[in-house]
Amino acid sequence: MPMKIAKLTFALLTILFLVAPLIAILPLAFTSSVILTYPIPSWSLRWFEELFFADAWRRAIINSLIIGTGTTLLATVLGTAASLGLRNRLFFFRGSMRTLFLLPMVVPAVVLGVGMQVLLARFGLINSYAGVIIAHTVVAIPFVVVSVTGALAGIDERVELAAQSLGAAPVTVFRRVTLPLAMPGVLSGAVLAFATSLDEVVLTLFVAGPNQRTLARQMFSSIRENISPAIAAAAFLFIAATILIGLVVVLSRSMLERRTRPAAS
Amino acid sequence: MSGSSSRMGRSLLLLAPLFLFLMGFFVWPLFSMMSQAVSDPAVLRLLPRTAEIMGDWDRESPPSMPMQTALMEDLKAVDDDQALGDMVRRLNSARSGFRTLMSKTTSALGDAASPPPDLVSIDKRWEKPEFWIAIADALSPLTDRNLLAAVDLGRNSAGAIEHLPADQSVNRVILVRTFWIAALVTFFCACIGFPYAIIAASLTGWKRDLMLAAVLLPLWTSLLVRTAAWFILLQEQGLINDFLRAIGLIDAPLALIFNRTGVIIAMTHVLLPFMVLPIYSVLITIPKNLMPAAASLGAPPIRAFLRVLLPLSLRGVASGGLLVFISAIGYYITPALIGGPGDQMISSIIAFYATGSANWGMAGALGMVLLVATLLLYSVYARLSSDEPGRR
Amino acid sequence: MAEFIKFDRITKFYGPLCVVENLDLSIAKGEFVSLLGPSGSGKTTLLMMLAGFEQATSGKILLDGAAINDVPTHKRDMGVVFQSYALFPHMTVGENIAFPLQMRGIDKAETAARVKQALDMVQLSTLADRRPSQLSGGQQQRVALARALVFEPRVVLMDEPLGALDKQLREQMQLDIRELHRRLGLTIVFVTHDQSEALTMSDRVAVFNKGKIEQIGTPRQVYDEPATRFVAEFIGETNLVEGVVEAIEGREATVRLPNGAQIVSAVSDGVAAGQGVYLSIRPERIDLAEARGAARNVLETEVTDSVYQGDHLRVQLQNEAYPLIAKLGRRSREFAPGTKVFAAFSAGDCRVIAP
Ligand SMILES: Nc1ncnc2c1ncn2[C@@H]1O[C@H](COP(=O)(O)OP(=O)(O)OP(=O)(O)O)[C@@H](O)[C@H]1O
Ligand SMILES: [Mg+2]
Repeated sequence: MPMKIAKLTFALLTILFLVAPLIAILPLAFTSSVILTYPIPSWSLRWFEELFFADAWRRAIINSLIIGTGTTLLATVLGTAASLGLRNRLFFFRGSMRTLFLLPMVVPAVVLGVGMQVLLARFGLINSYAGVIIAHTVVAIPFVVVSVTGALAGIDERVELAAQSLGAAPVTVFRRVTLPLAMPGVLSGAVLAFATSLDEVVLTLFVAGPNQRTLARQMFSSIRENISPAIAAAAFLFIAATILIGLVVVLSRSMLERRTRPAAS
Repeated sequence: MSGSSSRMGRSLLLLAPLFLFLMGFFVWPLFSMMSQAVSDPAVLRLLPRTAEIMGDWDRESPPSMPMQTALMEDLKAVDDDQALGDMVRRLNSARSGFRTLMSKTTSALGDAASPPPDLVSIDKRWEKPEFWIAIADALSPLTDRNLLAAVDLGRNSAGAIEHLPADQSVNRVILVRTFWIAALVTFFCACIGFPYAIIAASLTGWKRDLMLAAVLLPLWTSLLVRTAAWFILLQEQGLINDFLRAIGLIDAPLALIFNRTGVIIAMTHVLLPFMVLPIYSVLITIPKNLMPAAASLGAPPIRAFLRVLLPLSLRGVASGGLLVFISAIGYYITPALIGGPGDQMISSIIAFYATGSANWGMAGALGMVLLVATLLLYSVYARLSSDEPGRR
Repeated sequence: MAEFIKFDRITKFYGPLCVVENLDLSIAKGEFVSLLGPSGSGKTTLLMMLAGFEQATSGKILLDGAAINDVPTHKRDMGVVFQSYALFPHMTVGENIAFPLQMRGIDKAETAARVKQALDMVQLSTLADRRPSQLSGGQQQRVALARALVFEPRVVLMDEPLGALDKQLREQMQLDIRELHRRLGLTIVFVTHDQSEALTMSDRVAVFNKGKIEQIGTPRQVYDEPATRFVAEFIGETNLVEGVVEAIEGREATVRLPNGAQIVSAVSDGVAAGQGVYLSIRPERIDLAEARGAARNVLETEVTDSVYQGDHLRVQLQNEAYPLIAKLGRRSREFAPGTKVFAAFSAGDCRVIAP
């Protein structure tokens, strides 16, 4: 019994440690004060107004959407194509290719950022949307590849052989069988790519100019230079979006499982 | 056969775009950054004629006339005083006495009234091969200076490797600090994450889901939001200080932010999911009846844990620990926002060299140290998680 | 016999591993041929080459006289039923069955009619809108069957289609498939490693071993006249006794056993007098009696054990040279261990097999 209570206390305290900070920041989004502390004197939406109408914040949101969309498209297309290529078991460099595709997740962001700054400057892509999208795509790729290869691995290859034997040409097999079955993986890869871009700061610090300041980048300098409850408002949006995205991912995962689960006998 | 070769072609076609993309925008940037660390063409750029002639020199015989003429012409053509200063410094560190020799030489060359016929006539020392050897070495576009400096080493005038003087030895302090902070964070993550994963794996239904959701929610939440949240909690007027004062534990606010404590707390929070999830995924593959089986064989709970559960889950703890440690040593944002000047890690210093002082050589060298450490640890991690028996 | 499918010296390597070796096999139109053999003997590989999923390393596959080696799978017009069924998990039962018809550009109305007909045939009309994951194993299996038959393929290939079903369902499905075969006049190539399944269902059985066909023939032939020791042992249970051929007279040979006893046995070509051979005696063909009867072959033995097994009595026998097993009908009397008995069988009930 004391063991049980100790376990329970430990679990609850850890949950508190994990979740409380995220909850603590939420009410501050609605403060009327200019400083970011409790107690909250009175409620107001002024910081959301600031977020949506103050020039710096509004531009940052728009930039995040532009760059996030670009990153999602580029990373999803490149990552999905490559994941399909990786299915070929006879392919000699399969393992090293896969490692290469996953490596951007591992390499420290600052190292990559410094290198990219030099290189993009050489290409004249520094301080441009294209440059930032490229940088974000590099770090979003692993998420797409992991997600799509996971979905593809769940497809029973005999299902595709069956489609062939029933008269479907390779392109048709891909369109009617492979792609629909992999779709949940592609979608969750795309969502993760978007989320990665939205949250990316370090690379943005190195390759983006003042005109490409993203929301995350703006939050970074706001915390550093003049912290205000606008941060809390932005955080509120982020957490709301996270929960939404989380739901989408969970739903598509379970959809994926339901679809590709080998039919129970 | 034609089927398999056309399949191969298709795979190649599908893989090529991403491969080329990553080669261009991932491998190349890293590579060019690393090459900054070992390249130093400054002297080569200043002395092109000398470089051309000295290629044939045997490094023993006294300097030939063409060598002297070439060097004189190069020195006369130099119009960038800063670059000249850099070169002289580099030569002097390789061969002391170069500074005076050079200033004497350049002023003699600047004397338009009576141009010297050769270098030896300016100073006898130009006859000695040692000085020319220093030039020949400096002409090489490759240098290990930055790499050595990254770990606070340098070459003395004789070319041997030695420690830099204490006032120049900042990097090693920061490297040690980086690994120390990462180790502490890993330790705390393990202390919290391992029991947490065990409890979660032992539960079922909504309780388990709740415990997992509590890990996943922060994992999916923006890093900046989490850092901002800790900023708010830890600050002097923050909730933690308020709470501690309210229950009368302290009178004056504790300093929790802009110091090591804050960095460790925030990083532990950020990285905890990376510890919990690998351990959890190993634990759920362990059959549930093992612990009861051990108990039925007479093992008391602690022994059963030590002899059964711990060895079986060690792989998860190791991968979780590596994952946390790898992420921690590359951290930039959290130390930058929550830490004080004494808590900056290697990433911050790289960023400083790159953007603050445009010292690409040092940025590249420190980057190489960090990258190599990361990749080494990652290869261990990859090996650990790839030959997992349960996963296939 | 008209050759509809013909494997002509087919060889298949996976890397250095030879999986099918120089194999010839002809199958007539409307015939039901089973490929029977132990695991890894190359049955699936042969089927996969016929379906076009794998390429033969050398040799030719002919369908109706034309080589089909280079015809891609989707143009071969063969219905394949996989062991795992391989139903499309994202389509309903109806959509699964409609798929091959859509691939052939058949219009909607006819597709619907034929899907319905196919569902009726396998008695699943009420389940058209279910997903495969909502079906039982036997139902999925029948959907796979309907899907493979609905487009009236030239050949139906089945790779252990019943392997995942329980015994009762499997026997039901065996009869169903047999019935469909007869009614629709299908040409079926059926892979199994269950010998009783092969014997009950097929017109002919091809027994595989290590990438080669050991014997092909009607179920009766492969059971009663095994051509090799492998076939005799793999199909059913048998007693193998070593001996030397003393004389051959027509289709009968006289064989001397190690203990001196002489046996007259059926023999096929290729065995000569003086040769060391095996005798295969099926346990259920042996009669036991305490007195020497009038049978042509009688062996003196002693009962070592006798086990009641429900539908038969299994008796272990031993004499000075070799053990024997006899399976006696349930009406037979019991034999106590130690009893001296005479094991009797006719010349047609045993077989000489070249080693
Ligand atoms: N794609 C492949 N690559 C390499 N070897 C293979 C491949 N497919 C099959 N093999 C090998 O070929 C041999 C024959 O395999 P095959 O699947 O034809 O056997 P089978 O007779 O169908 O056996 P089972 O009754 O177990 O299904 C086996 O040794 C197998 O390991
Ligand atoms: Mg098989």
